[in-house]
Amino acid sequence: MEIFSEIYNCYYQVLRHLLCTKAPATLEEMRSQVCQEGFLESMLSIIPKLESGSWNLLRKDGNLYLSKLTSDFTVPISALERSYLKALLNDARIGLFLTPSQTASLGSMLAETPPLWKPEQFYYYDRFADGDPYQDENYRRIFRTLLGAQKNRQYVNIDYTSPQGKRVHHYYVPARLEYSVKNDKFRLLALEGRHPQKMKLAILNISRMQNVTATDQTLDAAVDLNQIIRDSYEKEPLRLHITNKRNALERAMLHFANYEKNTKKVDENNYECLIYYNKTMETELLIEVLSFGPMLKVVGNDSFLADLKTRLLKQQTLQMVSSSTPHITETS
Amino acid sequence: MSNFQELIGSFPKTREYVRDFFVYGFKSRDEFKDKSPRTYDNERRRLECWLAPYVRKDYAANGSNISLAIDSNLLDVNPLFQVWKTKSFTDYDITLHFLILDLLQNGEALTADEITCRLLSAYDTLFDTQTVRRKCNAYVKAGLLEKQKSGKAVGYFLDNTLAHWLKLHKDVYDALAFYQIAECFGIVGNVLTDQLDFCNGSFRVKHSFCVHTLEDEILLDLLEAMNRKSSVQLTIKGTRGGNTVTTACIPLQIFVSTRSGRRFLCGYMSGSRRFSCFRLDSIKTVTLLEKSDRFDEYREQLDRNRSHIWGVSFQGSEGQHLERLTMTVQVNEPYDHYIVERLMREGRGGIVTRIKPDVYQYETTVFDCNEMLPWVRTFIGRILSLECTAKSVERRFYQDLSIMYHMYEIGG
Repeated sequence: MEIFSEIYNCYYQVLRHLLCTKAPATLEEMRSQVCQEGFLESMLSIIPKLESGSWNLLRKDGNLYLSKLTSDFTVPISALERSYLKALLNDARIGLFLTPSQTASLGSMLAETPPLWKPEQFYYYDRFADGDPYQDENYRRIFRTLLGAQKNRQYVNIDYTSPQGKRVHHYYVPARLEYSVKNDKFRLLALEGRHPQKMKLAILNISRMQNVTATDQTLDAAVDLNQIIRDSYEKEPLRLHITNKRNALERAMLHFANYEKNTKKVDENNYECLIYYNKTMETELLIEVLSFGPMLKVVGNDSFLADLKTRLLKQQTLQMVSSSTPHITETS
Repeated sequence: MSNFQELIGSFPKTREYVRDFFVYGFKSRDEFKDKSPRTYDNERRRLECWLAPYVRKDYAANGSNISLAIDSNLLDVNPLFQVWKTKSFTDYDITLHFLILDLLQNGEALTADEITCRLLSAYDTLFDTQTVRRKCNAYVKAGLLEKQKSGKAVGYFLDNTLAHWLKLHKDVYDALAFYQIAECFGIVGNVLTDQLDFCNGSFRVKHSFCVHTLEDEILLDLLEAMNRKSSVQLTIKGTRGGNTVTTACIPLQIFVSTRSGRRFLCGYMSGSRRFSCFRLDSIKTVTLLEKSDRFDEYREQLDRNRSHIWGVSFQGSEGQHLERLTMTVQVNEPYDHYIVERLMREGRGGIVTRIKPDVYQYETTVFDCNEMLPWVRTFIGRILSLECTAKSVERRFYQDLSIMYHMYEIGG
């Protein structure tokens, strides 16, 4: 089984769409479709092949091109894809999506297929121990209600227990269901407000929801979630200086790869990295930076730097008053 | 650059380029010392073609730099999946792909001769039977077609039951939309969503590390070896020095860090009689060797050792079999109870004890406490004491703290 195979090639996908269109198309229409779906320069390769007949897949009629495909064309599922689907059936989260009868039907169609991987072949050594209860029927019901409402831009009434233990009701429009691999938890990215232009983003743990009911009200227009997230970023990014000792550069680049960042070389062995984040990410980012110890130096923004210094000052004070002073003596 | 092609024949070389662009994102033309300028230009142009919406150009004193600006908080799909969709093909390949599959959609079994005839009569395309048979056999191997023998004749047919079932069940679309971005081998889920003409618009992943998809073919080979309980020979390129070495082991399990996305092969080294871990992004090739009779035994041994593995190391720096680390932290009760929850949730089985009001102790015994230091440092500001049987770990912690105090001008 190969992942890097021409059957998954982007050009095949573009061609399938062109060929499954039953209506005749002009060269210009095909160009436009290739530009939309292909890579940046795909048009320069695909269109001459179709025009010249090197890919003998179209019939020409005057200025129009007609697909030679005659069937209701469906691409069959490859062995790799079957194996992947079989592996998903072993995953605890599959019950959030499929009913038991759907799982059984899919399982019987894949009876002879080996799974691409088995859960026991992976060990997530730093995953948190309190993942969401995927087998819980109420959790599954809430998950499905949120997913349905998200697709229809429907307001939902959420009964939620806050981290402080307070029970609150509120109306939101689900924007995305966000999964954290580290926490093994789903959170809801929810929009709060009445007007599409003035929506605020809220983040709620699904496992803290007691009940969710969909209402008849919907949001009239689509909201640009990414713009809301971008707008929430601090005006001044986190500014780090990295000295490339003990492989710190590569480690930091990979560790912070999930943030939008921009790295520049300052001189032979020193780099500056800007990381964009918002208030909801700040504490997590701060402890991630602390985990690197002196390998990274925070030089901005002022607020982040002040928080970091506060923690260090507290630590120094604790060391001075605690009985562990011999350690300080040993190193100072 | 007149012969420039967007598509490529081989993945490994491109894998390295994309990884470098993704991880470092600042190397200019002159810094790619190992490669010719022509190669660099072509690879760079391809990358710009495949990942156009994510390419950022900056102008620096030493020339223009390009980098990938990917913010995983904003992604519905991993942009690097595009790299997997670039395999080159011939004119015959693409023509036969569509015409043979179109011809066989009705489930009828046809021999290579019959297919060749029908390609001419129904589609006005002429191929020799040998070419058609070769393509059919390749598609049988890939699982797209099935083969049945009737006497001496070999018929090829297409069973689309599963594809039609998937098309009809929208719940499967949601599952694929989620798994393609959240689970291993997301690229396979992604090509399935492509086939179903569906895009993820419902799910995001908080800690998503796009770059590791580039290791998926290596992972596939390692899982295959584990399924067969075979030993493997690995070619490994060091991430620091760049030296290439080969080594053999019995692959037992894939270790994954959810904090960095890094994946490791944990294998048993028969020569040194030890467990060892290898980063997947440093493994360049995997060659399957003979079956190991002792696979199950080593795997059980690994499971028995698991409670003492903090990360991926099986040996500390001071030669002790096991090292004990004890950390005492200050917790302002009841307001800071989340710190106690963190110790329990993130402490990987360590014992958390309330030793007096506002003071908790965390204790664990692992092979290599040095690996714990990044996690320990996340409690800076609350640590009353840190003790470790490996004194070098203790020293390093306090030395690093001293450096940080100096670095940030804390205290006097």
